[in-house]
Amino acid sequence: MNMQNENREVLLEVRDLKQYFPVKKTKLREKQRYVRANDGITIDIYEGETLGLVGESGCGKSTFGRTLLQLYPQTHGEVLYHKDGQTIDLKAQSKEEIRVLRKDLQLIFQDPYSSLNPRMTVGQIIGEGLTSHGIYKRGDPAMRDYIFKVMEDCGLATYMFGRYPHQFSGGQRQRIGIARSLALKPRFVVCDEAVSALDVSIQSQILNLLSDLKEKQKLTYLFITHDLSVVKYISDRIGVMYLGNMVELAPTEELFNNTMHPYTEALLSAIPVVDEEDKRERILLEGDIPSPVSPPSGCKFHTRCRYCQQKCKDEVPEWIDVGNNHYVACHFPLHGKKG
Amino acid sequence: MGKGRYLLKRFIYIVFVFFIISILMFAIYKSMPGDAVEIMLGSSKTTMKPDAYAALYEQTRQRLGLDQPLPIQYFAWMGNMLTGNFGYSTQYKKEVIQIISAPMMNTVMLNICAMIVVFLISIPLGIITAVRKNGVFDKVIQVLTIVGYSIPGFIIALLSIFLFAVKFPIFPISGLRTAGMDAGGLAGLGDQLWHMVLPVMVMSVSGIGGITRYVRASMIDVLRMDYIRTARAKGLREKTVIYVHAFRNALIPVVTITTWWIIGLFGGSIVIESVFLIPGLGKMLIDALMQRDFSVVLTMQMFYVILSLAGNVLMDIAYTLVDPRVRLEN
Repeated sequence: MNMQNENREVLLEVRDLKQYFPVKKTKLREKQRYVRANDGITIDIYEGETLGLVGESGCGKSTFGRTLLQLYPQTHGEVLYHKDGQTIDLKAQSKEEIRVLRKDLQLIFQDPYSSLNPRMTVGQIIGEGLTSHGIYKRGDPAMRDYIFKVMEDCGLATYMFGRYPHQFSGGQRQRIGIARSLALKPRFVVCDEAVSALDVSIQSQILNLLSDLKEKQKLTYLFITHDLSVVKYISDRIGVMYLGNMVELAPTEELFNNTMHPYTEALLSAIPVVDEEDKRERILLEGDIPSPVSPPSGCKFHTRCRYCQQKCKDEVPEWIDVGNNHYVACHFPLHGKKG
Repeated sequence: MGKGRYLLKRFIYIVFVFFIISILMFAIYKSMPGDAVEIMLGSSKTTMKPDAYAALYEQTRQRLGLDQPLPIQYFAWMGNMLTGNFGYSTQYKKEVIQIISAPMMNTVMLNICAMIVVFLISIPLGIITAVRKNGVFDKVIQVLTIVGYSIPGFIIALLSIFLFAVKFPIFPISGLRTAGMDAGGLAGLGDQLWHMVLPVMVMSVSGIGGITRYVRASMIDVLRMDYIRTARAKGLREKTVIYVHAFRNALIPVVTITTWWIIGLFGGSIVIESVFLIPGLGKMLIDALMQRDFSVVLTMQMFYVILSLAGNVLMDIAYTLVDPRVRLEN
């Protein structure tokens, strides 16, 4: 699998992506401060892969997904989208051009309760994108058949066509959200905590559904979650984020077996295990995640890192390639420590 | 269960409430001081011989049915009301229905014009300020609406009279017709509309202030919703996002305030009608109260009662139209 990545085509190239949000000023002549939600992220997303993205709440995972799709005006950096041999810089596109590109770049939202318009029927929710992108004309009978097909693919019965979102359960709503985004036949889908709001039995259904659809339609996923067991199950590669930065990126097996960043180590040690034999050390991170408005100097993780040295406080670690498609940003990466 | 049954239930409820209120009203007016017969006979008391006056008094009393016990008077009054006979005005010496229809037309026309003006201005303004929240335009409108909303109607009325009728005599200040003008058809209607410009303007000010702020607040709430982000992520045009997705949802809370505001307009125009000397319902009610013309007062009170009861049901129906989550059940 690792070698495959080399040959795969790059779908999205992200270069030094920054997304800052202004903080509301409390004093009149105060200097404008920013929340650094994404502070320079560089990553390639390959066609056909599932890239998992993990990290604590507030580390900028969702912002990254939304900024990629240009739902926020990005502060700095480039997102290059490769389509039919062309390279499109998403930041440079006009609103209308981005609107057209949204057909390819879709998003599944975290909360199935608030992300569906309560005043539209399922048919309208799924069909609206189709008419807006000119795939079908409004009132085309073929569109209805197509929506039925998409609904069936996503495990929704066709009689639900004329119902409103409030008449469904959480799992069904999430399927509506999935059907909605996949109806457009996108190439890249950001699943922003797509299963976090669901209970565990429904989670696995939805995860299987997503994997099936991926096989059928050759999709690329960016799978954002804070649940490591989910991300291990579904991802080809996993990126770990801390306080607006990517700290480690590796193929799934590699990340679990050859953990290099102390933060990843701590995260992985938090996965509950059933096996009695496997007495791993739990690494507890002390304190809270620092403020993204004024992040710590040097390595942002140094305030909570148990291996912290003076160098970590002074110098920002570089994003280094350690081989095997494994990248890490740490001055003293751990080596060969089996998770 | 279904809509029909719910509406039937509501209708029965309305009838019930209507009768209870009518009994209360009737009781209140009966217990008020003043003698309707005496008022009706007016100056006869001083010009006639006492015993002839007493006979006439008794005769009139019987003719009006005021010698009967109160419950019977009530049923007689109610029966008459329900059959379209609203009684006899002691002040104008005419049937109430005859004297009430012209002012009602004036008031309704005035209010409908004001309503149209308010909606045409406040809804787009509310949407635009919500979309450009905290911009310069929004902030200016925020200040203006709160000013318009807070200044009492009569002050705005006097100010606008001073501006548009005294300083710059553009509009007529009183009545609904040019004195002595006797044109029918289009010219008459034009003249009436011209007279209505100032009062409608004044009546609209507070409505525009209030409803713009309401639409804005409601739109801002909705624009923060996840499904708006969904709509954008679908790749819809921004116009579709705002006018179809956001506005239709923002309409839900606006329905409530609008219904009450419409009901309020009919009673609320008393001040404006008095300032601009418009022969409308408000002015009529005040005059009737002053003259203890109970038939007129009671008829108008019952009109307001029906208006607010019907307004409630209409509001419920309007909810089901704008929000599929609301169903008319029990």
